[in-house]
Amino acid sequence: MREVPLIGPYQRDDLLAWGQEGGRTAAQFLRDVYSLADQLPDRPTVFNLAANRYEFLVGFAAAMMRGQVTLLPHSRVPHLLREMIRDYPDSYAYVDHEATGAVSELMPVLRRQHSACDLCPSDPPLIPWDQEVAIAFTSGTMGKPVPNRKTWGALTSVAQATGARLGIKERERIIIVATVPHQHMFGLEASVMLPIVHGLAMHEGRPLFPADVGNVLMAVPERWLLVTTPIHLRACVVEGITVPKRGLILSATAPLARDVAREAERQFQSEVREIFGFAEAGSVAERRTVAGDWWRPLDGVRVEQEGTVCVVRAPYLPEPVPVPDRLSVAPNGEFMVHGRKADEVHIAGYRVSLGELTSKLLQVEGVQDGVFVMPDEQCGLVTRLMAFVVAPGKSSEEILRQLRTHIDPVFLPRPLVCVPKLPRNETGKLPREAIDEMMRQWREEKSCEQ
Amino acid sequence: MEQTGFSAMERELAELIVKTLKLTIDPASIDPQAPLFGEGLGLDSIDALELSLAISQRYGYQVKSSDPDIKAIFSSLRALAHAVETYRTK
Repeated sequence: MREVPLIGPYQRDDLLAWGQEGGRTAAQFLRDVYSLADQLPDRPTVFNLAANRYEFLVGFAAAMMRGQVTLLPHSRVPHLLREMIRDYPDSYAYVDHEATGAVSELMPVLRRQHSACDLCPSDPPLIPWDQEVAIAFTSGTMGKPVPNRKTWGALTSVAQATGARLGIKERERIIIVATVPHQHMFGLEASVMLPIVHGLAMHEGRPLFPADVGNVLMAVPERWLLVTTPIHLRACVVEGITVPKRGLILSATAPLARDVAREAERQFQSEVREIFGFAEAGSVAERRTVAGDWWRPLDGVRVEQEGTVCVVRAPYLPEPVPVPDRLSVAPNGEFMVHGRKADEVHIAGYRVSLGELTSKLLQVEGVQDGVFVMPDEQCGLVTRLMAFVVAPGKSSEEILRQLRTHIDPVFLPRPLVCVPKLPRNETGKLPREAIDEMMRQWREEKSCEQ
Repeated sequence: MEQTGFSAMERELAELIVKTLKLTIDPASIDPQAPLFGEGLGLDSIDALELSLAISQRYGYQVKSSDPDIKAIFSSLRALAHAVETYRTK
């Protein structure tokens, strides 16, 4: 059986995590993991809700040692957890100090107790390559989250290939700082797996505001690698934060505008690299945004046109995975991305089908007709969806309140506009031009101001 | 709910919030003492980021999570208005 150690080439006293409480060494980490593994309840699945990245990693690693699968809900909104726990009824929640009380009504909750582990082995445990260790969720066509199962082999292989592409050396003195949640697929790969596979250190927090990002990057005692998204990066550029020492920026979850990348490279005096990936396959390819449109697949990964779709092949993927975007692939294997397939949209790093959201909208009491649309222009940092609704006698607040219990908050429409009727044609369809016209009319009343 | 009335800064910020975050509510309907995030207006962390940029641009106050009372600052319109009045540079 092929096995891969839990952590890469650390020496005992190498820094593995760095945060407000100072640094934690690889040896400390292994003691924490072995000790927690003994405390875990005997259950097959765990919702790892820890907000602190180091606490998350300790929980993830201990669960793996016990053969448990870590569930990565992309939201901790109680009603979403409630929906998911139906599919994983024997789960427990692993939390740190920032977790809220609502979770404890749904399942047993475990918080790590600090305890000495004098008899613990000093070597990292070995994890089978094909052990299923995590499940990331994407929204499915019928509104139920679709599980994407991740093996230890897949996670470690992607981290190996990503580090190699970025030119990271083993045990290089780098601290990875991330603005993305570690419960997101890209966050897990780039801010948790990347450091532990290459023997680097992770920052334990998650800076949100540009001033926070600036402060953390100023404070890190080593070279930094910032794992972020176009939204956070653009906010940093708008605020004009500067950092005294060079690092490396890695962005993913949505395409990065080239002028934002150029400005970020200037302000941070650092290269901006971008990852193309999606939950089903993980990270797939990389590019330096300012250098061009073409994506270079990670080593060992192939992207191929197969009939009308493109698929990703890799040794750690049990079968070819269809790409949710339209691509054109060059003979050398590099590719260009031409946007999402019809009906699928991307909001704040999450993918969803407009048709699915519309069907949820139509389930709301008092709603007679309605449609979710993606506005074609962007105001602010992130494009939010819009919805037009026919619901006589209902206010948009009332509809939103009900909708909030059915869909993820990131997909809530901004705004939800009540209209007397939708411009359906004689076959009952809503042509895109009619929707555009409706948006145009609405905007004339309420203009989209920057 | 107690009718407390808006201060000038609360009214300005209520309008900024509704405009910046493209909400479909009347700014005057925001309860100045109710939570802005989570259960209140249902705002998320990207909204916090977006709002912080708008506040920085208009008032010259850069919000940081490391501000000692960051949770309090974003806890309500009233608290936010108080923070902006205290820290504004323009």
